[in-house]
Amino acid sequence: MTTDAPVPLPRRAPVPDLAVVLARWLLGALFIYMGTNKALHPVEFLKLVRQYDLFHDPFFLNCVASMLPWFEIFCGLLLLLGVAVRGTAVMVVAMLVPFTVVVLLHARALQVTGGLPFCAIKFDCGCGAGEVFICRKLAENILLTVVASALIFWRRHRFCLRIGLWKTPLTTIGHEPTRMDAGIS
Amino acid sequence: MRKQVFIEALVVAALGLFFALAANGLSPRGLRLSRNYFPEPGMAPAAASSVRTSPSATGTTATTAAALPNRTTERLQQRGLQLVTSNQVVELFRDPRREQGLVVFIDARDDQHYAAGHIPGAWQFHHYHAEKYLPTVLPICLTALQVVVYCSGGECEDSEFAAIMLRDTGVPREALFVYPGGMNEWKANGLPVEAGARGSGEAPKPNP
Repeated sequence: MTTDAPVPLPRRAPVPDLAVVLARWLLGALFIYMGTNKALHPVEFLKLVRQYDLFHDPFFLNCVASMLPWFEIFCGLLLLLGVAVRGTAVMVVAMLVPFTVVVLLHARALQVTGGLPFCAIKFDCGCGAGEVFICRKLAENILLTVVASALIFWRRHRFCLRIGLWKTPLTTIGHEPTRMDAGIS
Repeated sequence: MRKQVFIEALVVAALGLFFALAANGLSPRGLRLSRNYFPEPGMAPAAASSVRTSPSATGTTATTAAALPNRTTERLQQRGLQLVTSNQVVELFRDPRREQGLVVFIDARDDQHYAAGHIPGAWQFHHYHAEKYLPTVLPICLTALQVVVYCSGGECEDSEFAAIMLRDTGVPREALFVYPGGMNEWKANGLPVEAGARGSGEAPKPNP
């Protein structure tokens, strides 16, 4: 038998919750920054996407180059504001994983061509931060993927306007999350 | 819960794509989705059987195309474009016909690079925003006997795509030349550079 009354979750130490909030804000801010850099220079980004030789149809190439930066900004804003956090985090992971694979493959191709040590490979991957060393870029992307994955599975999100799109009410600091807030059914 | 998160992700994706589409459409720097910004030789008129150098009207004893990296010459050949070498471009720059508009220089770089420094008297034609520049540049190119298109040099292909676009819009292929050395080579050779708008006569700001 179920009851309509929300059942409070047991209290936990706030430190992990705040760390998750900070990680979410940092991830959101980073996506806004990277996306803005690309959105302000779409032609440059178009050329960088072209270097990967993924799309032979100009329409698809243009779609990726013109829409991806704004999509990143959109996801960054949602993370910062705390709207649809888990769904957005899924999309962030869905972007980061293929990016990382494509960048890795391109770096491997450059390594073969140039005969350089892998970590000495430096190029503008189109990530929005200019030229970077590949090992550093891969480490960054792995870290970001871990953070985004943590946001998917973490159950208590604070400072959120609307954690989930469907039935979750406002959850702010001081509001005791319920099983419903936490998405536990 | 998993299903809920998955559906939420799909909604985020749909809303995000709509946002991105609208933002790109509204942005003055936005890209046109249907345009081919990188026209390849298949779409161009029949490619030249070999890379030709500038006509001898300038009396140049220029370095040969072989002096350029093979990759660049091959690419130009595939795209059916003629090239001018460093010496030839200097001759063309000093050609008195340049003052009469019969020899024209076209800078295929963006606003920022053009303003930072271009070949004196060169017209800007950033082909990614052709609608902005073509109405000015096309009549000038159509009346010129020789049109030299350049960008930064090195791996930069903007001069080639700009030349292909000019060719496709009616500039005779015989009149079009690409300067693969580009602005980097021009500056490295200590040749004059003009900053700001065309004809401003401004000297570029020294690098910090």
